Amino acid sequence: MFKHTISELKEALICLEAGQVTLKYPFAPHAPDINFRGKVDVDFACCIGCGACANACPAILISVNDGDDGRTLFFELGRCTFCAACHDACPQKAIVLTSQFETATSNIADLQIRLILKLVHCRECGQVVNTQRAVDLVREQLGQDFGGLAWLDLCPDCRRKMALQDPDLMLEVVA
Amino acid sequence: MTNTLFNWCFKKSIWVYHVNAGSCNGCDIEILDVLTPYYDVERFGIRLVHTPRHADALLVTGPVTRQVRERLLRLYEATHDPKLVIAVGSCATCGGIWHDSYATLGGLSTVLPVNIYIPGCPPRPEAILYGVAEALGLVPKKVTEQVFVEA
Repeated sequence: MFKHTISELKEALICLEAGQVTLKYPFAPHAPDINFRGKVDVDFACCIGCGACANACPAILISVNDGDDGRTLFFELGRCTFCAACHDACPQKAIVLTSQFETATSNIADLQIRLILKLVHCRECGQVVNTQRAVDLVREQLGQDFGGLAWLDLCPDCRRKMALQDPDLMLEVVA
Repeated sequence: MTNTLFNWCFKKSIWVYHVNAGSCNGCDIEILDVLTPYYDVERFGIRLVHTPRHADALLVTGPVTRQVRERLLRLYEATHDPKLVIAVGSCATCGGIWHDSYATLGGLSTVLPVNIYIPGCPPRPEAILYGVAEALGLVPKKVTEQVFVEA
């Protein structure tokens, strides 16, 4: 009997020592771990609309569609599994991983991101070549003196036709 | 009017019935985490109950498989009005990686009217807490739709 009381008192002391363990959250902010992957964000200034993220995404939540108003990249983040494959695939580092986890919402549209980028159409046949930003990037990286870059606003088919008609261009590219 | 009634009803405490609609158990384990003393939802009066007839809210995880649809509708009818429907996890929110599978219906919103979506795979316990607190009107919404158009 006496032994029991002693052990119970001991337990009570341990409980007193532990103090309060419950988190203050949601009344006080709670920062997640530094490696935590939260909601994906897109840096619109960097995105060139190449669609590498859409190829990499296992949940197929990124769709790329070409329309009259340009190329639309649509992120349906309600399906996101936070694997960061899009972040790894992006050549422009446009996909930013945030640590935001408080993404609860009553409207599913709040979890959507829509990017609309201008397109370049082929000057011969009118087919979509690429986005304006991707074409500008190629022009910037290759330099103005690389073959004149007259083929940049042509679709692949029209580029071949142009190369056939103008053999000098082929030689210049090889050289 | 309905909204006022809703807010008045859910001011004090909500009792939750947890439904697994084809979930992988990831979200279910996080829900169990929320019930531990570390997160302690009982301080908000939230507790799990064993029957939908006692419940104010249905906490649904999983992409809603075809088999579970009938049961889910029966559970929804058995819960008394006014009721909350909370979708926990990416699967319940939009279907997750099973969104185009023949065996699932692709998200809870295809079957029931959902009050709050808590995305995440699985959502961390804090996110579930935040979502439930948001459904009760205690904390504001933090995400909005983003549209960028190249000028």
